[in-house]
Amino acid sequence: MTDLLISIFGDFYGNMLGILLNATQWTIYLSLTAFVGGGIVGLVMTVLKISPSKPLRVFASMYIWFFQSIPLLMLLFILGLGVPVFFSIDVPPWLAASVALTLFTSAYLSEVWRGALQSIPKGQWEGGTAVGMTFSQNLIYIIAPQAIRIAIPSTVGFMIQVIKGTSMAYIINYDDLMRWGKKIANSQLDGAEPFIIFPIVGLFYFALCFPLSCLSKHLEKRLNTQNR
Amino acid sequence: MFDFRFYEIWRSEEFVQVLFEGAFNSFWLTTVGGIFGFILGTGLALLQDKSVFVGLRLLARSYVEIIRNTPFVVQMFFVAFGLPILLDMQWSFFASALLAIMLNFSAYFSEIIRSGIDSTPKGQIEAAYSLGFKKYDLVKDIILPQALEKVYPSLVSQFVFLFLTTGLISEIGIEDITWAGRFISDRNFRDFEVYLVLSAIYMSMSWMFILILNGCRRKLFPWRAEK
Amino acid sequence: MNEATNNSIVIENMNKWYDDFQVLKDINLTIKQGERIVICGPSGSGKSTLIRCLNHLEIYQEGKITVNDVHVFNGMKNPEAIRVEVGMVFQSFNLFPHLTVLDNCILPQLRVLGLDKVKARETAMTFLERVKIPDQADKYPAQLSGGQQQRVAIARALCMKPQIMLFDEPTSALDPEMVNEVLDTMLELAESGMTMVCVTHEMGFAAKAADRVIFMDAGQIIEDSTPTEFFENPKHERAKEFLGQIL
Ligand SMILES: Nc1ncnc2c1ncn2[C@@H]1O[C@H](COP(=O)(O)OP(=O)(O)O)[C@@H](O)[C@H]1O
Ligand SMILES: [Mg+2]
Repeated sequence: MTDLLISIFGDFYGNMLGILLNATQWTIYLSLTAFVGGGIVGLVMTVLKISPSKPLRVFASMYIWFFQSIPLLMLLFILGLGVPVFFSIDVPPWLAASVALTLFTSAYLSEVWRGALQSIPKGQWEGGTAVGMTFSQNLIYIIAPQAIRIAIPSTVGFMIQVIKGTSMAYIINYDDLMRWGKKIANSQLDGAEPFIIFPIVGLFYFALCFPLSCLSKHLEKRLNTQNR
Repeated sequence: MFDFRFYEIWRSEEFVQVLFEGAFNSFWLTTVGGIFGFILGTGLALLQDKSVFVGLRLLARSYVEIIRNTPFVVQMFFVAFGLPILLDMQWSFFASALLAIMLNFSAYFSEIIRSGIDSTPKGQIEAAYSLGFKKYDLVKDIILPQALEKVYPSLVSQFVFLFLTTGLISEIGIEDITWAGRFISDRNFRDFEVYLVLSAIYMSMSWMFILILNGCRRKLFPWRAEK
Repeated sequence: MNEATNNSIVIENMNKWYDDFQVLKDINLTIKQGERIVICGPSGSGKSTLIRCLNHLEIYQEGKITVNDVHVFNGMKNPEAIRVEVGMVFQSFNLFPHLTVLDNCILPQLRVLGLDKVKARETAMTFLERVKIPDQADKYPAQLSGGQQQRVAIARALCMKPQIMLFDEPTSALDPEMVNEVLDTMLELAESGMTMVCVTHEMGFAAKAADRVIFMDAGQIIEDSTPTEFFENPKHERAKEFLGQIL
């Protein structure tokens, strides 16, 4: 890949783009981890939030509130710098970053999903109950399929927040696109000035986010026309 | 098992002062940046109207998409380290932070304001036109006030969400809350406690912003309260 | 060609389409100064569209509309000039919810007529008194009943000192007990000699106030007669049917 880039952009920029491209995979891995992890935890929280048990609902509410209110940067610091010192354990940056982003993602996703569930008319729940379905049967067979359709556009849209969120992980030394971009910008090499590097790094992020943004908008539009 | 030592923060007068100064800097940079961002965002929202010259409209749209699809930290480094070279001008890191916050917030605000503008009831526009309003007055006196009232809650939550990302300005040396945290933890080595305290400060400040902004709501949009 | 006549509105051979759908077909209508016209007809027959063409809220493709001797056409430079002379009252009131009743009446005078605040306020109060709600001046529209809102809407339009008033089903969105207060206001206005074009199904109003009743169906004017003629001896089958339904 780098060879190809070198043949197109020359030695210097080819190498640089190769490095950034290589670093981008770590941004993608972290985003996917956060998204999958956050999706699973978020799903659990969503279910707890609407469950018949009051203590579980309260717990879920507190969880969602807490991880929406705490800055992602603080989560990264607490897990990446605080925990290792406090518990005298070794926490690799990828782990701290994954956990922090998972917590962040789960809170926002469960908020989105709860909103989708709430937008399903009450009558749908009652319909299921009337034919003798349990809470979970009702949720899985009647409510969820409708809610998922509603939730998909904003869920895809939130992917963008996750990707942008990963850019903070360089602060706890996670080796991603941002970290390498910053390294190159600090290198003082001619042609790697900040006004060149940061737009290129931005372009890499844009290439990841913009398609998702378009997809989200497209899905939203389709949903709206279907509902009409 | 847990050995919390929060007093390692309080015992130093210097630490407490750094925290207060940090909170103050975060507060005013976000507030001022947010206000300018709101003004720019309103402009960007209006520029995306169908009646605007297509080139200008495209420019506004592209700007919003670029900002919304790239991380704040990249924008900030570009503004702080790239732009001064590019424009051959010098400015302080405070100015960079303010500019970065303004540029970043404006794109998110404009998207929200635009949704408010788009949802103006057709009858309002027809009524204004039937009275002889020109487009400019229609937008300024009828569409914008109503749109802003409608999207105010979304603007507030977006503002608070964005506030929570401003800790990054410590990366260009702004002595904000996050910078205060690093300053203290570099000296007392109690990172865990320090960042817990910082989180609490950020949370209370979000809460304060919400209180202030909700308080402004009645003043800004008196017709709402009277309903 | 533009010499002054005593015609307020002249519509000649006018046709209008929405894409392929022709909403108005070969409309010819002359309304003299001070005349009071009631337009009625089944829903979807093009009544609203017709009167919205008069103040350039809608464009039309063929024919010619002249309002106060000014040619109203698609692409005209200054539609505001004609809109000032033509007041309009809507079915759904369309008061500005963010302005008090008084400001609803003042703001258009400031922005469109360029009057100063004192003068505008004076005019606003005069007309609010005329529609009998000066005491609500400082309230917001949402705090008023439908009938009151519609009277404010009439006052707001009158503040611009228009020479023609257009009404598009001004009482259709009102609870029955509020219809009369609005009709009374309109009757008073009719007696003052204002040129009025009212789309309404209030046949009592038509009988009392109208000089002519126009019946529209499927985009065409199919009856144009005095109220007495129209009620007692409608010429067309569709008009008979329509009267049978609403009376
Ligand atoms: N913006 C529009 N686009 C397409 N068709 C329209 C539009 N506005 C009105 N129409 C159609 O034009 C016809 C006449 O409408 P309108 O003038 O509102 O009727 P009325 O006021 O007599 O009930 C109706 O069939 C309506 O569906
Ligand atoms: Mg109509």
